[in-house]
Amino acid sequence: MTKIALSLSGVSKDFGRIIALRNINLAVHTGEFVSILGRNGAGKTTLLNIISGVSKPSSGTVKLFGGAPHLAEHKAKMAVISHEMFLYGGLTAYENLEYYARIYNVQDSAAAIITALKAVELLHRRFDLVATFSRGMTQRLTIARALLHSPALLLLDEPFTGLDQHAVGMLIAILAKQKQHGRTILLTTHDLHTAHTLSERYIILEKHRIVQDGSMAETDPDELRSKYFTAERMEV
Amino acid sequence: MNAAYAILRKDLQLEFRSKESILAMWIFSLLIFVIFNFTFEVSRLVMLEIAPGLLWVAFIFSGMFGLNHSFAVEKEHGNLRAMALMPVDGSQIYLGKFLSVTVIMLMFEMLIFPIFIIFYDLQLSLNMLLLIPVLLAGTIGFTSLGTILSGVSVQTRNQQILLSLLLWPLVSPIIIWSVTLTSMVLGGNIAGGFYPLLVRVISFDVIFFTISYLLFNFILED
Repeated sequence: MTKIALSLSGVSKDFGRIIALRNINLAVHTGEFVSILGRNGAGKTTLLNIISGVSKPSSGTVKLFGGAPHLAEHKAKMAVISHEMFLYGGLTAYENLEYYARIYNVQDSAAAIITALKAVELLHRRFDLVATFSRGMTQRLTIARALLHSPALLLLDEPFTGLDQHAVGMLIAILAKQKQHGRTILLTTHDLHTAHTLSERYIILEKHRIVQDGSMAETDPDELRSKYFTAERMEV
Repeated sequence: MNAAYAILRKDLQLEFRSKESILAMWIFSLLIFVIFNFTFEVSRLVMLEIAPGLLWVAFIFSGMFGLNHSFAVEKEHGNLRAMALMPVDGSQIYLGKFLSVTVIMLMFEMLIFPIFIIFYDLQLSLNMLLLIPVLLAGTIGFTSLGTILSGVSVQTRNQQILLSLLLWPLVSPIIIWSVTLTSMVLGGNIAGGFYPLLVRVISFDVIFFTISYLLFNFILED
């Protein structure tokens, strides 16, 4: 039986009168790859923010590796990839990674940076300013930044948005490799087929609640689409 | 300390590459000196009386730009959120930002002070060395408070207005005392009140820095 990497119990979040999440109960085991599906505004990003400790729940408890998510020792085991790059355009690719290596206390940082840059095929651009990078290249560097400290938990918030086919393929390959290495991964996406390819479990958020929690192997993505993501349903 | 050093190093790398803050602060201060020097035809004695105030007006208005810029750069690509995700205490982030803002502001002051001497025809003397602790103490008071308040205001839509509204009332005593101290040094009148006033500014620095250092964790929270 694997350990529980993260658990949420009775988690709700509201912003004044606006409800973002209602009574979320979820347990994710170490090494599990879970896709969080749902339409815009369902609460996917809020859920990841609460798990990462950036946002506090209005009620309920969150445990990351058995403790509170805002503790430094737990934050050190986690990485977030989202549409926000967490990079500085005025620094080179190498300098950006060097900065994060210092923050995350990465041992033998020079070698780790080179390995991370190689993995995302950006080694040849390491001394170029990030401001000169295309969107796809910046996102690849974001992936390198996130993997630099070998996090045990990866939180991915719509990471495929704005990527070209090459970058999407590269990210899928990297995620598959991370899964093989036993990392726990949570992915929010609209792309059911990618979620089906990568993850073994999915949860569906609708109207700020978990309405389905199932195994990908036992689910037909087209059936899921017709049930939760059809145009008529989107209009509800 | 690793995180504070990483932030300091990163901010200085960004500044040395773009020179955005220092150049803008320098030009702004130069404009102040030029306008006041050529607009008002006053005697040297009167000029000596208003010069310390002008110097600190230049420092503080330029410093406001530096503070705004320091956190504006963190808004780029969501870096403020990245800071909230870092496995370090908020006080380390505060220390890094405080040190970078202070170093940049002190460098700017070193660059603009000779221009000030030339414009206002001030006599160089050994006494002027006493301006070093005055500039240090005044600047540290301004940046220690400015750093935390800039961190608060950057998360709002009216960043610059809010920073001014929050910072001015709190930092005013330090600025007024720094002007008085500068006036004492430039006027060669340091007997008596100079050192007690300098100690008062340093005491405020210590209080502002300690409170800001301890509270910075809370401003990173959602």
